[in-house]
This record gives sequence, C-alpha cells and structure tokens, in this order.
Amino acid sequence: MDKLGIEPTLLGAQVINFLVILIVLQKLLYKPILTMLEKRKREIAEGVELTAKMREAEEKLKLSHEKALGKAREDALAIIEEAKKQAKETEKELVVEAHQQAEAIIARAKAEAEETKLAAKAAISREAVELAVVMAKRVLASVMGAKEQHALIAKRVKDLESWGVREEKKSA
Amino acid sequence: MGLHISLAAEQIATFYGMPITNSYLTTLIVMVLLIVLSVMATRKMTMIPGNAQLIAESIVGGLYDFFSAIAGKHIKQFFPLVATLFLFILVANWVGLLPGVGTIGFTETAEAKEVAVAEPETVSETAPAAAKVDDHAPVAVDGEKPEEAGTSAAAEGEEAGAHGETKFVPLFRAATADLNMTLALALVSVIAMQYFGFRTLGAHYASRFVNFKDPIMFGVGILELASDISKVVSFAFRLFGNIFAGEVLLAVLAFLIPFIVPLPFLFMELFVGVVQALVFSMLSTAFFNVAVSHGEEEHAEAAHA
Repeated sequence: MDKLGIEPTLLGAQVINFLVILIVLQKLLYKPILTMLEKRKREIAEGVELTAKMREAEEKLKLSHEKALGKAREDALAIIEEAKKQAKETEKELVVEAHQQAEAIIARAKAEAEETKLAAKAAISREAVELAVVMAKRVLASVMGAKEQHALIAKRVKDLESWGVREEKKSA
Repeated sequence: MGLHISLAAEQIATFYGMPITNSYLTTLIVMVLLIVLSVMATRKMTMIPGNAQLIAESIVGGLYDFFSAIAGKHIKQFFPLVATLFLFILVANWVGLLPGVGTIGFTETAEAKEVAVAEPETVSETAPAAAKVDDHAPVAVDGEKPEEAGTSAAAEGEEAGAHGETKFVPLFRAATADLNMTLALALVSVIAMQYFGFRTLGAHYASRFVNFKDPIMFGVGILELASDISKVVSFAFRLFGNIFAGEVLLAVLAFLIPFIVPLPFLFMELFVGVVQALVFSMLSTAFFNVAVSHGEEEHAEAAHA
C-alpha cells in the first residue's frame, strides 16, 4: 500500500469529495437541466399539436368562408333577378295605367265637348225663339190689331215651344 | 532538473493530521471548476437557452440519452451517479494535461525529504538514465543497485543532506493519477452497485452472493462476490494505469524532446481521458444494470410456469 501511495484518510476524503460533487451536480446541473429539457419537450409537443389543430380550424374556416361567399353570391344574383322581374312588372303596370288614364282623360274631354255642344244648341234655339217673337210682333203690329196679334203670337209661340221641346228631346 | 516520476502522489501539506497531496489539491480544483461551470450554465435557465445553457443541455441531455441506451428503464436511478463519474473523471483527466500540472512546483531540502520518506508519501528525484518508479528508491545514486535502494534510504537521506541536494515536488498532479482517487471512485461505484441491487430487489438481491438452492448456485455466489471485489481493483487500476501512463509518457517525451514531438501524444492523452471516463461510467452503468436485474430470468420463468 505504501508503494502505491494509498492512504486511508485520503481515500476517505476522496470518497467524500466525490459524494459532495455528486450531490452538488445533481442539485445544480442534472435536475434543472433535465427538468428544463422535459419541460421544453412537453411544450414543443403541445405547440406542434396546437399548430395542427389551428391548421385544421383554419381549413374549416376557409371552407365555411367559401361556402358563405358562394351563398352570398347566389343570393345577390337571385335578388338582382328578382329586382329585374319586379321592375319589368312595374313597368308593364305603369304602362297599362297610363293607357287607362289617357283613355279616361280622352273620354272626359269628349263628354265635356258634347255637353258644351248641347248647351250651345239649347242657347241658340232659345235665342232664335225670342228673335222670332220680336220679329213677329213687329210684323203683326203693322198688319193686325192688338187682339188678333196676341192670339196669333200665342199660337206661334206654342208651336215654336213644342218644336223646341221636340228638338231638345231629339238631341238628348 | 531531472525527470520527475513518482508512482504515488507527493505530500505538499498537512491539514489537521491529514496529508494533503498534490493530487488531492487538483481534485479540489476540479471540484471547484465543475461547480463553477454548473452554476454558470444553470444560473439563468430560460425556455430559449443561452449559449452556456445550450452547451450544458447538450452535454447533460447527450449523456442521459447515451446512458439510457445501456440502463434502459433504470436510467433515472443511475443517471446522477454515472453522469457525475463521467464528468468528474473527464475533467480530472483533462486538468491533468494542462500545462503547469506536474511542472510547477517547489524544491524540498533533504531534511524535508526525510520526513516525507517516513510518511507513505514520497518525494523522488531520479536521474534521467535511471528513471524508476519505486517509492523506496526515490533517489538513484550512481552505482547503486535497485535492490539496495530500499535498504539505503536512510543513508541516502544523509548523503543527500550532505551534498545539499534538493528534491522537486510538483504542486499539481492529475487527480486520477493517484490511486486514492481512483480507488475511491471504484469503491463508490461497487458499493453503489450493491445499494441499487438491494434498493430495487430488496432482500432477494442477497441471493446473488449467498445462495443455498443448489451447489452450483452456491459456487456462483462465491464467484460473484470475488468478481465484485475484483471490480474495485480493476476499476481503480484501469483508470490510474491509463492516466499515470499518459503522464509518464508525456513527461519522458517532454524531457527528451520538449518541442512539437509531444503534441500528438498530448492529443492522444486528451482522447484517452475521454475514453477512460466513458469506460468507467459505462462499465458502472452496465454493472448497475446487472445488479438490479439479478434473478429476472428466474422470476420470468416462475411467472411463466
């Protein structure tokens, strides 16, 4: 043992030294690093999983987006179509109404014209009777006496009046 | 100054009666170095690692993967010990290769040397022609035969004193080039092996050594006991021999041709340092594994039957 330099106290001291460094390294080096490695491993796994999930969700979202977009486009087209149809219908209706209104206006105008004509005719016939009476008075005054004149005038007026009534009835 | 080679570590001081050798001093330096590096690496642990943390993580993580390939499911139990064995031996081996280790030192007068001879630690100074690795012949005097060296130690001391000779004592010596260190590691490893065995298997583990089931198993138990004791010796001497041999080789080369030529050997010693650290820790892991899986086949057979 002497030749090899083995010394029991030194041997013991070296064993203790090694145990000390073992405990210190376990506390200072292995434990924190292995914990950290484990933690990172877990976190990376979680991250990868999350990425996959998100990608899936994104895919789904894109799909629903496209679907919604397509539907919106279809809806828009339908609405436009509907609007066009409605517009056409409205146009037709308007034209018909305009025609009707025009016809009504024309009819009213015609009726008014007729009325005016009749009124004018009546006025003319009345004036003609009065004129005839005046003329007959003058002629008879110079020819007959007042009595005969009156009788004759009354007869003529009756005739004229019945004529006027006949004429009125005819025009009505 | 002559070539300095000593099988044992030299005593450089005494601390409360405990001799402090140069190897012991280097061991303390290695410990401080490891602790400081660990603190630096793990002081600010972050999810996104800095450089120091990254290096430490690669080393520890790499060791963990490496040893788990051998230890399998038992890695959690073994890892702190085998990783420490690896790191400690590696750093100790490499620190021993630093310039100054084995070359920086002081000289002792003959009187001091006489004290050293009385102690198991010795100081040796050898002439280049007679570089010997013998504690009892620390000084090779011309014409003196090796067998006589041991008997003439006292006379030699006087002689040296008379001639006013001084002995060179290096301040640092590779920690693993001292049998105290390697034997301590070997003991730790073999005792840990028994500890792991008992902890995992309970009393059943004892049947590895003492088994009265049948004569063959009894014989095997004795062989196992002998093999475990021999493991201590083989662990201790393998590491010591490799590192000490490297030191001697480098010392001789540096003594003969100090420039350029020792470089390839220095690289080789760096490599040897890694290999020996690996061998020690891997063998330990393998032995631990054997210890904790003792009797697994029997259990499996029993379960099968």
